[in-house]
Amino acid sequence: MSTRRTGSGPTLNFKAVLLGEGCVGKTSLVLRYMEDKFNTQHLSTLQASFVTKKVSLPDERRAQLNIWDTAGQERFHALGPIYYRGSDGALLVYDITDQDSFQKVKSWVRELKQMRGSEISLIIVGNKTDLEEQRAVSYETALRYAQTVGAQYVETSAKENEGVSELFELLTQLMLEHHGNKLQHDASSLRLQSGSSGIGISEDIDTDADNAGAAAEQRSCCGI
Amino acid sequence: MEATASSRFSDVDEYGFRRGEHFDYENYGKFMDKYLKTLTRRRIKWEAILKQNPDLSQPDAKLKRYIRKGIPGPFRTDVWMKISGAEAAMKKRPGLYRSLLNIDHFIKEINDSISIDLPRTFPDNIYFDSKKDRLFNILSAYAHHNRDVGYCQGLNYIAGLLLIVTDDEEKSFWLLKHIVEDIAPQYHSHNMSSLLRDLAVFRELVIRRVPAVNRHIEKLELPYAVIASKWFICIFAEVLPVETVLRIWDCVFAEGHKVVFRAALAMFVTHKTAILACHDIAALVTLFRDTMIQDNIVTNCHSFIESMFSLRLTHSEIESLRKVAVLNAN
Repeated sequence: MSTRRTGSGPTLNFKAVLLGEGCVGKTSLVLRYMEDKFNTQHLSTLQASFVTKKVSLPDERRAQLNIWDTAGQERFHALGPIYYRGSDGALLVYDITDQDSFQKVKSWVRELKQMRGSEISLIIVGNKTDLEEQRAVSYETALRYAQTVGAQYVETSAKENEGVSELFELLTQLMLEHHGNKLQHDASSLRLQSGSSGIGISEDIDTDADNAGAAAEQRSCCGI
Repeated sequence: MEATASSRFSDVDEYGFRRGEHFDYENYGKFMDKYLKTLTRRRIKWEAILKQNPDLSQPDAKLKRYIRKGIPGPFRTDVWMKISGAEAAMKKRPGLYRSLLNIDHFIKEINDSISIDLPRTFPDNIYFDSKKDRLFNILSAYAHHNRDVGYCQGLNYIAGLLLIVTDDEEKSFWLLKHIVEDIAPQYHSHNMSSLLRDLAVFRELVIRRVPAVNRHIEKLELPYAVIASKWFICIFAEVLPVETVLRIWDCVFAEGHKVVFRAALAMFVTHKTAILACHDIAALVTLFRDTMIQDNIVTNCHSFIESMFSLRLTHSEIESLRKVAVLNAN
């Protein structure tokens, strides 16, 4: 189950998180993308799960996409920061037939903007286009909103397998561009990460060297 | 097609759960050979205890020892109700459960979210379809009884397992109330702050007891919430094999929340080698999500319980770590 591989050049490592209200189809999008399956009676996600997939980039490099799929029930919102804290990209998913779930996306956008600023690439995802006749949020409304907050907008149907692979390609593309920009703009090209759990009491590890001198020696978040 | 002449066990366990495709019948057979004898011996001893002390009013060291060795199935409901205090609470408010089923204004959102989770609760259990209405009643009654908690995903698994064991709606309600309010206070509330607090406490205990394991997990950047939030939210229901969960719950009802930390810590200690052998986050996630929760270590509930109680752990250590965690969070 190890995902290690040698000999094919450097592998870029990207982390992304799926956020959104319960039952909008976060897990279904992941399941469709990873296994090309759709489960009409899927289990609800209580504890965030993690999947990983290797993708080939146009320039022949390889990237490893690490995706967190999180719980949707409102109170699990409290655990959100644990996942988006270290992420390079976020998919904010709503159900196009459910106005409330679109409002929930807006609250995630506000939180992510505040906590991560431009550090994280955002894609807003309107899922369940197979239920077009019950649509409650118009394409234009969502697109306009996405533009105002600097996010991309994509519509998908995990059920009918529409737009799903394109969504993850776009996500990879955005994170790659962001990574490239960072390399250009940031001389040190490094992002330091503090202890990953973020719920700690004491620091058991030495990852907190948050100064420029140490930075040059640190491993990039995107792998070596 | 996997069935062989040697598999004496049905593909459904005694609680109605279908065994997984990769269930290790051979090792389970070896374990059960011994365990069944233990169960018989224990049942005879428990009959004597209950004759002597029918209301279990004196929870002495001997009773605690017996409980750690496992309460025999036929006595489990009765003993849980008594040692947890749920029975006393039920007797104080005998009409409460019925009245909660007959309140005038049900909150639609609560009942809707419970209804969504019903078909998702134990779909692999062959008896459970017929219990779903009763599960709904328990969860809805509790959600309306304790508005601070309402309905939290995960409670369906706790209440569902209680219902399987007790086969009694009202007793399940009172035991659920005990778990949510006394064992896991505020884990299920709206901001889950004490879940985050206890995950931080758990991490600190890992640092103190098995520091190499913590270093490895943090090096691979796997958050503790991914590993253990379901352990705490469900008190291991729908995580570990049923018999192991029930053995843990025996001790939880008798001894309180410290047992939950013991179980979580034992998971790390008994799987130290396997954790350290994972070279990337994906392997680690698979270990925690799939392998570790159904391997021989946890299926052999007897030795797992022993490893839980061989760990040093005091209430005062947990309480002082909780204080630090709360300070750090603010």
